[in-house]
Amino acid sequence: MTSEPPAVMLESASKWYGQVIGINDVSLAIDGGVTGVLGPNGAGKSTLFKLLLGRLRPSQGSVRLFGIDPWESTSPFRRVGYVSETEPLYEWMTGLDFLVTMARLHGMTREEAKERAEHVLDFVGLSDVRHKEVGKYSKGMRQRVKIAHALVHDPDLIILDEPLHGCDPLARTSIMSVIRELGNRGKTVIVSSHILEEIERITEQIVILHNGRLLALGNLHAIRGLLDKHPHRILLETEAPRELAKELITRKPIYGVRFPEEGYLEIQTSDLSAAHEILPEAIVESGIKVTSVENPDDNLDSLLGYLVGGD
Amino acid sequence: MDAQGRDLAETVWTRIDRKAGAVIELTIRQLRHKISTWVVLALGTMLMVLLLAFYIDSIRDGFESIDNDGDSVDEDRDGYPLGQERKYGTSDWDGEQFPGSGTFVYEGEIDWNDENREISGNKTWEGQAYLDPSWIDTDYKGGQWDYIIDWDSVTSCPEDQGEAFMDWIPEWSSACQLQDGTYVTNGKFRAEGNLTVPLDYYLSWGFVTGIFDVPKDPKEMYIDEDDIDWDGNGGSQGVDDDGDCLRVGWVSSSDQDMMWWEEPHNPDANRNGIQCDVIWVMDPETGEVIYISADSSVDEDPVDENYVGEASHRTFVIATGKIAFVLLLGLFLPLFLSLGLVRDETERGTLHYLLSKPIHRGEFILYRVLGYLAVVSAFILILSLFMALITSVIGPGDSLVRIGDFPVWLGIAVATILVLAAYGSLFNTIGLLLPKYGVYLCIIIGVWEFAMGFTTLISPSSSIATISVSHWGLHLIDSIVLVSWPDTLQFSQMSSAFGLETGLEWIWSPPVHTLNSSNPYLGILTSVTMLSVISISMIGIGSAVFSKREIM
Amino acid sequence: MKQGVDISGGNTRMESAFGSGDGDDEASASVAQKAEVKGSIFEQTYRPWRGSLGPRWVRNYAIFRHHVYGLFSSKGHRYYHPMVRLTILIVFLFSLSPVAMLFLASLGGQGGFGEVLSRMWGINRYNLWGQVLGFFPRNLCMWPLLTALVVGGMISDDRRNGTSAIYFSRPVNRTDYTAMKYLSSAVVLGFVIVFSYMVYYTSAIILNGEGWAFLIDTLPIFMGGLLAGILLVLTYTSLGLALSSISQSRFFAAVAFLAVIYGTKMVAFLIESTFESSILYVLSPYDGLAHIGQWLVGIESNYDHPLAFSIVSILLINFLSLALLTSRVSSLEVTRE
Repeated sequence: MTSEPPAVMLESASKWYGQVIGINDVSLAIDGGVTGVLGPNGAGKSTLFKLLLGRLRPSQGSVRLFGIDPWESTSPFRRVGYVSETEPLYEWMTGLDFLVTMARLHGMTREEAKERAEHVLDFVGLSDVRHKEVGKYSKGMRQRVKIAHALVHDPDLIILDEPLHGCDPLARTSIMSVIRELGNRGKTVIVSSHILEEIERITEQIVILHNGRLLALGNLHAIRGLLDKHPHRILLETEAPRELAKELITRKPIYGVRFPEEGYLEIQTSDLSAAHEILPEAIVESGIKVTSVENPDDNLDSLLGYLVGGD
Repeated sequence: MDAQGRDLAETVWTRIDRKAGAVIELTIRQLRHKISTWVVLALGTMLMVLLLAFYIDSIRDGFESIDNDGDSVDEDRDGYPLGQERKYGTSDWDGEQFPGSGTFVYEGEIDWNDENREISGNKTWEGQAYLDPSWIDTDYKGGQWDYIIDWDSVTSCPEDQGEAFMDWIPEWSSACQLQDGTYVTNGKFRAEGNLTVPLDYYLSWGFVTGIFDVPKDPKEMYIDEDDIDWDGNGGSQGVDDDGDCLRVGWVSSSDQDMMWWEEPHNPDANRNGIQCDVIWVMDPETGEVIYISADSSVDEDPVDENYVGEASHRTFVIATGKIAFVLLLGLFLPLFLSLGLVRDETERGTLHYLLSKPIHRGEFILYRVLGYLAVVSAFILILSLFMALITSVIGPGDSLVRIGDFPVWLGIAVATILVLAAYGSLFNTIGLLLPKYGVYLCIIIGVWEFAMGFTTLISPSSSIATISVSHWGLHLIDSIVLVSWPDTLQFSQMSSAFGLETGLEWIWSPPVHTLNSSNPYLGILTSVTMLSVISISMIGIGSAVFSKREIM
Repeated sequence: MKQGVDISGGNTRMESAFGSGDGDDEASASVAQKAEVKGSIFEQTYRPWRGSLGPRWVRNYAIFRHHVYGLFSSKGHRYYHPMVRLTILIVFLFSLSPVAMLFLASLGGQGGFGEVLSRMWGINRYNLWGQVLGFFPRNLCMWPLLTALVVGGMISDDRRNGTSAIYFSRPVNRTDYTAMKYLSSAVVLGFVIVFSYMVYYTSAIILNGEGWAFLIDTLPIFMGGLLAGILLVLTYTSLGLALSSISQSRFFAAVAFLAVIYGTKMVAFLIESTFESSILYVLSPYDGLAHIGQWLVGIESNYDHPLAFSIVSILLINFLSLALLTSRVSSLEVTRE
């Protein structure tokens, strides 16, 4: 093997529980950077992670972590950190204790473990409460200590299952910055969520799952751009939407207009970037005041809507 | 790096012990944070303290000499103990019969229709009369059934209730004193004076002849009077020190004098052609006594202090080891502590912290069980050491500390730990195999194990009990005891051969599973093998099941 | 990483709304773990209930029924694990084994095998005593197991799952709750222990065609044994419920009950056989009951200490258990602990 195998690789992997399908024929490879795994509840995100962590055996196909089957061997876990969505922790341990124990489970000596634990606690911003029992932590602190536990052995791949679930905005922001920071350091980070803005604020690289199927994979905008057969919409807020519509409808990539609400104009186009190129010029030419320009489609919500065949 | 990407030099040897240490330490700390652990350990300690309290109490009382053959009693209160009466051929149920008691000669009577109802003289009287004595033989006493009046317990008559023999009668074999100093008698007595027999009552009299004086032996003479005579070698031995087997010097030795509960006298019960001997069978290799067969009434009342003290001490140690350690602690510690080793993690949802680590799941099971074992083993070792220290200091013996006890206590600890390991892995595996039904199965297995342990105590060679962990634990203790105290077999044989009340013969019996060699080392080997096989196979099954289980 | 995009799924219309086809991420039947994305609002009309509340005994009977009927059908009643039901059935059948023996004896006719059987299993003081209080196998294997399984989860389940709220949010007070739990446990135990005893006695009379004289002779003994059986059921229930009320898992309560029954018995046995003192038997619930039972049935006691000790001990065990039980239940928080 000359080059390093990708961190995560699934080849037509399927997993079904009796009649219920968890993952259906998913092939994908993820290596480097932050990747958001997106899908509604029951889409198969947790199944995907459990397959990656060797807790489930794929019914068909193969799952590889760094080229190794995680069901057969636990050795890839040395390079994997996992943050589960479940809440329980060893409530009676202090944060430092917990991390030291987890680090030692990776085969570190007591001293190494202590050093790493201090370091990681500092990284997630918990060093001032490290001698407090985990049971006394707030929700956000618990979430961060779980992230810290996944980082304590300096893994190359970090899997976070719904890390922002149930956190307040402040905790959310700090966890997001931790995740982005990890991505910047060259780790492979996989974050799952069913809340779209979260992923959007963390990363542009996404995997979309729905009903066990892989719907899309790649850059958020690139995916959106590839879906040309769907109309793209641009929402303009203006005092005189009808006048502006007359002005714009004649321009090249714009083929339709709507007036969704009073004071708004929605234009439809097949080529978003081209439309954005001509839009400023046209508005200036028309002399009508436009207070805001929005791309309502360029988020995961509508993307998912398109991909599953809605709207 | 191998095909699976493992760096051999790193993973296998340098890291495995660190991970094992981490899992074990985590398990220990988890157990330490459960209240039930402390409750169970505290109760175990209390149990031992309770046993020690009884032990110390019994040591403080000392070992009283016991009349093993029961001939120091004086049932008829004539002052001659049974042993002495037997020698003279008199009955210990008739107070008038005793060595030198002579023969009663009937002289006369006053019955209900005689005219003359007064008589005087120095006689032995029997019946109802008013007595105006000049002398009363207060030493003339008898048993419950002899109707002899006990002159020490004479009360004053209830004269306010009316006249004697008209309105009230003294109780049978008693007398009372009237206010004028005379007596109202009803029973047998010996006195000189004037007697008046009331109408419709009866009095007979006579004299005793052929009396000769036999000094009364103190009862103590018939306790520990026939010590074990053994020169340390095998063969036919034993001396009938008190002569009750050979019946040397007995005036009458007919077995008809024996009471119905006494064994018919058989001077050659062990059928070796020699009367009144004891056969001691020695193991030619070890030189230990392995069998004792005594004729009845030979060496049957040994000096208890020499034997009972030691044997009782051993009984206590073995009973504590078997019942308190193996049966109670051995079974209930695992029931409380080991079932949840993996199950609790699954239920609480913290299992993934441990499974997303580079530790093979099979190893993980092993380390969990080891962590539990570390806690309970430490507890058992401390507890047995504590028991060993106290009992070996206060126990019987010449030396200050009974060093010889320590291997036994250590053996008890080891047996208990092996049992704990077997149960721990068994319950843990059941918890893994049957996440839903496991708890019920464990309770049922607990009851089964307890019943089988109880069966093994009562009947060590019971074959059904071999299908249990407790049987092998108890068997291991039997074997260890024989190895550490090789003469236990001798004590046990002596207990049953000479009627020593030590309890040793029921709490301990020679190991059964020795492959027909009666070698205790083989007994240890079979027990340890069985217990280890159970533990290892259970951990193996648990690991195999767990590593192929999909965890939701 | 920016390869082509796989949108194979996008061609087919996903007719279902998000969240359909659920159940892959938690295949075990845990519910309400995640918020449902979709929701719908139903019109709520509140109609106050103007009926009158049933009397207290009706409510209490409902609690009682809930626990007892659960033995036969879990639908709407307390859930008894199939394993528990199976064990109860086996224990019940086993406790009826003398009836089977008597039946065989009645087939065997006069003399020979039948007579031997009926002599061994027929009605006498010892057999009546043994039917409820015999140590092996009944009080060593069957009754403690039965009690442990039935009573173990009675209160600890409520504590663990917070289901006591179901009662306490209704017009049921804690006394009623405890009393009904106690009564239903005692009835289940009594069904196996006391009822099988009565069946044994009755069937002996019927199968042997006994007459009035037999009845007059044996009825007092039977009543003595009946009393002993009821006492046993009450004592075991008190002890089991008390242990159940202090533990959070039915397993802990069950094992603790076994530990109490076996532990005290074995320690007393150990002390008696080593130090010739039977006084420690007062600690053992089984031996206290056996001692009283021997007196009630009129057979010779095999304990050295006075009967009064055993009576006081049994009363004390019951009293302490009930005190513990009531204090625990009255401090039971109506939340998931």
